[in-house]
Amino acid sequence: MSEVVLDMRDAVFRHQISSPSLSKPFGKRLGSGIFSINLKVRKGQILGLVGPNGAGKTTLMRILAGIFPIQKGEIFAHGAKSNELSPISEMELRSIVGHMPEQVRWQGRVSVKRTLQDIAEMRGVAYRVDGILRMVGLSEIENSPLDHLSQGMRQRLTLATALLGSPKILLLDEPFNGLDPIAIRAFEKLLEDLAKKGVSIIISSHRVAGMVHLVDRLALLHRGQLLIEGTLKEIESKFELDNRIQIEGTGDLPEFEKVIGTEASILESKSTEQRWSVIIRNQDDSLLHKLVSSKTEITTWKPKDTDIVEMICSATGQDLDEIGFGVISSTMMPYKNRGEEE
Amino acid sequence: MNDFKKFSKVTMRHLSQRLFSTRMAIMLPILILFIPGMAWGFSDPKVLLPGGISPSSATEVMFYTSLGIVFGATMCSVLLSFDGVSKDRASGLLEIKLAQPMPRTHQSTALVIGHWFAILIPTWILWAVSFVIVKHRMGDWPSIVDVLTSFISVALILLWYVLFSLIASSHAKEQGTSIAFGVGVWFLFTFLWALVTTMIAFASGISIGEENNPKWIGLEGVLDLFSPNGVFHHLLETRLNDVDRGVSPLVLWLVALLWSVIPWYWFNYRMKTIQP
Repeated sequence: MSEVVLDMRDAVFRHQISSPSLSKPFGKRLGSGIFSINLKVRKGQILGLVGPNGAGKTTLMRILAGIFPIQKGEIFAHGAKSNELSPISEMELRSIVGHMPEQVRWQGRVSVKRTLQDIAEMRGVAYRVDGILRMVGLSEIENSPLDHLSQGMRQRLTLATALLGSPKILLLDEPFNGLDPIAIRAFEKLLEDLAKKGVSIIISSHRVAGMVHLVDRLALLHRGQLLIEGTLKEIESKFELDNRIQIEGTGDLPEFEKVIGTEASILESKSTEQRWSVIIRNQDDSLLHKLVSSKTEITTWKPKDTDIVEMICSATGQDLDEIGFGVISSTMMPYKNRGEEE
Repeated sequence: MNDFKKFSKVTMRHLSQRLFSTRMAIMLPILILFIPGMAWGFSDPKVLLPGGISPSSATEVMFYTSLGIVFGATMCSVLLSFDGVSKDRASGLLEIKLAQPMPRTHQSTALVIGHWFAILIPTWILWAVSFVIVKHRMGDWPSIVDVLTSFISVALILLWYVLFSLIASSHAKEQGTSIAFGVGVWFLFTFLWALVTTMIAFASGISIGEENNPKWIGLEGVLDLFSPNGVFHHLLETRLNDVDRGVSPLVLWLVALLWSVIPWYWFNYRMKTIQP
């Protein structure tokens, strides 16, 4: 395993919410946030931070970017010049981290290059602007005003701001939003190249499927807690979401129990007029052969992708109805009971 | 690049963005009309102001011209800085700026100085032009101390209004609230303060409207310390003969310092704790 470049230990941050009362007109109370997060970021690793809306992904990203100060816990990292892990201040964190927020609405008559120079001057790296513009493919439109940029171009410009200063850690909050498939592929290629050069990358998303091929590890966040962190295989195995196959076919729904016996278990089955679909858990590759031999009409045979809802349901022991929209409206934690503040 | 260089570059960037903005192009004719225009009018040898006053020296003419600063330049400073923070916050750019390795106090100070100088430079130029106009019309130059006092006073009042607007901009979640606060503060101190003074005088049993009543003059002098426009006029009055409203110059400069330091500190503190 590669060396750890950032180690977050028991980090807590809770937003302060305005809560006026007669006695305290400017009173505040603690709201949602993140709770006792332990996270290690390794050199050259791409970590996918996944979770539903309101899970705390953006808050965690902002903490890692040095924008929000943690209220408890510590963050250890290699400083800009040192190579040893040590507690790091928010300022030092900002100098080693490049942060790409979700959706920046670039607007105005200022040119792309001038805008990037503005940010570069805050880092003291104005000389890097031309190179970064070339890297993200914006050099040909460097003199265009921001108002003329497409959504994809705006995303690239936001990425360019994150790449200024050669960051050791790159934080990308929902980076693929608004990008077309070609731009996504180019974006992924760029991230892979950066990771090969030793840049650690954290990508936040509410979609697992969109980034499993890109990330080395996944961290699942829900209601401000890190439920699990590991490779997709490890997570699937832990939650028993591995070795699942989705089979679809025509005709009546076959009696699977008879065909497959005890070799596999049926997790879900659906049938409509002349079409059926089942998801089975299978350990044996001979299953397909058995199904074909039994003259079952199969149109689709593919491994079932794990989605975020399944992961959260498995991790929390709740079903979809229980989780639902409650992820945003409630700060109560189903997974662990912290026994404080709530 | 050291911290000071970074700070200077960011300040210059704010300054140039505001100084060469469309907004400034729209406001410049207003400033020209209000500052050199008033200087031209008040320096007319035949001018007779309400109350039968006829300015007799260049310092006196510039004192009356300062109304152009109060009505025009302060409003322009509000209009120039009301979105100093809120615009970046609404667009998401503030998050990028806050993630840069530049201390928040440096960022906030660069914002203040950038916005302040963007309105100060044209106002100072027009203020200097006004002196030339007065010299041309009256053949009189104010003393160097009078000139210095007036330039410093103009700089201070513009700083105060820029600070109020930036504070509002940093607290407001959207730009409407920010501009409403800025214009509201301007309206309070420019128009409503006289009403506040009158009400307090009435409540204190001081007869209103008697211009030569020492009690009224004293109360008005003290209450003006609580208004930036009042402090501005107090500062200019220090160079006028025959004006004494019972406030010592030392207290006055101390109050001017407080009007500068407290909002500036507030804004710096706000920017330290601001969330994108």
